[in-house]
Amino acid sequence: MSKISEFFKGYADAFTLNIREHKENMTQVLRLSVADLKKTYTGSALGWAWAVIKPVFTIFIYWFAVSIGLRSGNDIGEYPYILWLIAGIVPWFFMTECITGGTVCIRKYSYLVTKMKYPLTTIPTFTNLSSLYVHLVLVVISIIMFWVMGFAPTVYLVQLPIYTILMFLFFNAWSLFAGMVSAISKDFSNLIKSVNIGIFWLSGVIWNIESVADNKLLKVIMMLNPVTFICYGYRNCFVDHKWFFEEPVELGVFIAWYVVLAVMSLWAYKKLRKEIPDVL
Amino acid sequence: MKDTVIKFDNVTKKYKLYSSTRKRLLAIFFKGIKYKEKVAVDNMNFEIERGESVALFGKNGAGKSTVLKMITGVSFPTSGDITVKGRVSALLELKSGFDQEFTGRQNIYLKGHILGLSDSEIKALEETIIEYSELGDYIDQPVRTYSSGMKSRLGFAINVNIKPEILIVDEALSVGDNAFKQKCQKTVNEIIEKDNVTLLFVTHQTAVAEEFCKRGIVMKNGKIVFDGPVKEASQYYKTKYNPPKKK
Ligand SMILES: Nc1ncnc2c1ncn2[C@@H]1O[C@H](COP(=O)(O)OP(=O)(O)OP(=O)(O)O)[C@@H](O)[C@H]1O
Ligand SMILES: [Mg+2]
Repeated sequence: MSKISEFFKGYADAFTLNIREHKENMTQVLRLSVADLKKTYTGSALGWAWAVIKPVFTIFIYWFAVSIGLRSGNDIGEYPYILWLIAGIVPWFFMTECITGGTVCIRKYSYLVTKMKYPLTTIPTFTNLSSLYVHLVLVVISIIMFWVMGFAPTVYLVQLPIYTILMFLFFNAWSLFAGMVSAISKDFSNLIKSVNIGIFWLSGVIWNIESVADNKLLKVIMMLNPVTFICYGYRNCFVDHKWFFEEPVELGVFIAWYVVLAVMSLWAYKKLRKEIPDVL
Repeated sequence: MKDTVIKFDNVTKKYKLYSSTRKRLLAIFFKGIKYKEKVAVDNMNFEIERGESVALFGKNGAGKSTVLKMITGVSFPTSGDITVKGRVSALLELKSGFDQEFTGRQNIYLKGHILGLSDSEIKALEETIIEYSELGDYIDQPVRTYSSGMKSRLGFAINVNIKPEILIVDEALSVGDNAFKQKCQKTVNEIIEKDNVTLLFVTHQTAVAEEFCKRGIVMKNGKIVFDGPVKEASQYYKTKYNPPKKK
């Protein structure tokens, strides 16, 4: 009996510690997120422009490949394929950054772990925040693009922050878990890099999962994927004009995933916190 | 009245050694993966009082750095209790206590913030630190372009000037030139006298330690084998481990 309560207490403690570290270091986290952003872009030859050029270029490639190459990419509803693509791929850029970048975040900032006393749980938060800033800029650019092409924002756009926050929380839990595991072993980040490519192709980022709608089971399975949930959540706001509460099952599944990930990250924290500085 | 700022209570630190990182990864998820243990600190007990200056001696691998890392709070004991009172400012095995991509100046701010200083407090210290480090124009260059001596200067300049309560220096001075060493020595003695700072110092140059410290602890295989006045400690260390060279 006491074993069980001890077990839960361990998780509760890890959780409150996580919250406390964030609360007490909020300004530090914001500062480091800005510093991380600067570091990412001032290092590259194109500087800040790279933050926008890279995604634009990627979008162009996919659009070209799908529309021109595969002669697919039909309009989706009243929206041209390119806009539909943008609505889903912009959150994907953030997610892929978190999936791979989050995995290496603690390694990247190893000096914060091994040379000074720094709250470890906030490292993924500030690296992800740094990606979030770029994401928000891309969202604004997307809204403008839609407008320029004749699609003014609709009321459905007001729910976008909900999806953004869900996405951020979800991938923050992921980054904490993955960052700690890959701090122990690089093999893990190599594994995740290859898995990431699989996730991209399976999540309907560039092709519409409605095209498998005939196969009910397949579609249900696809919607259980949290990456798909976020991509299509963004599309709900931009092109599909649906409210988030119209898909309660998908939302519930996503939250269930989140809880699983959060527990995994607390588990990893309890298990690995003391070992990480010795390994890095 | 005793004013203990650092206390080790039966502290033991064991490192887990796996035959590969893959094994280490698997060990996270599965029980029963074999590993070897290295006892780096073996049931250590000691107390250090406010204002003391203590040198740690010992051969390579004796466990000195491990002790300092645990005091700093970056590494954790496997068992036992460590009590540390006061703000610790540490120069741990210099290599990379900095963000390599940031300039020296940005690193001053970073380090200050992490130690809990506000922007204005750091601004007030900025010029002193830069002047002290004698880095000149390099202060606005990324730290990765520094020589190891320059890194050690910057590290030292930051750590002694941000008003630490406990100052930890692990071999950071061995790369500094003589002029800088003397300057450091003067400052350290000053802050110990004036601000009652506690110093923990590791070096293999016993002469340097004798100038910095009053007390000396000799470690061997993670245990304390001598604890007393620094002169005696360094004598003990020299005769036990570095037999005097024959002329
Ligand atoms: N991260 C680590 N993982 C595994 N073993 C370690 C680790 N750090 C230190 N050790 C081992 O613990 C022992 C003590 O190491 P420590 O770095 O404390 O020695 P030291 O007294 O500082 O030596 P030096 O004079 O060379 O700096 C050594 O045997 C070392 O191999
Ligand atoms: Mg050492």
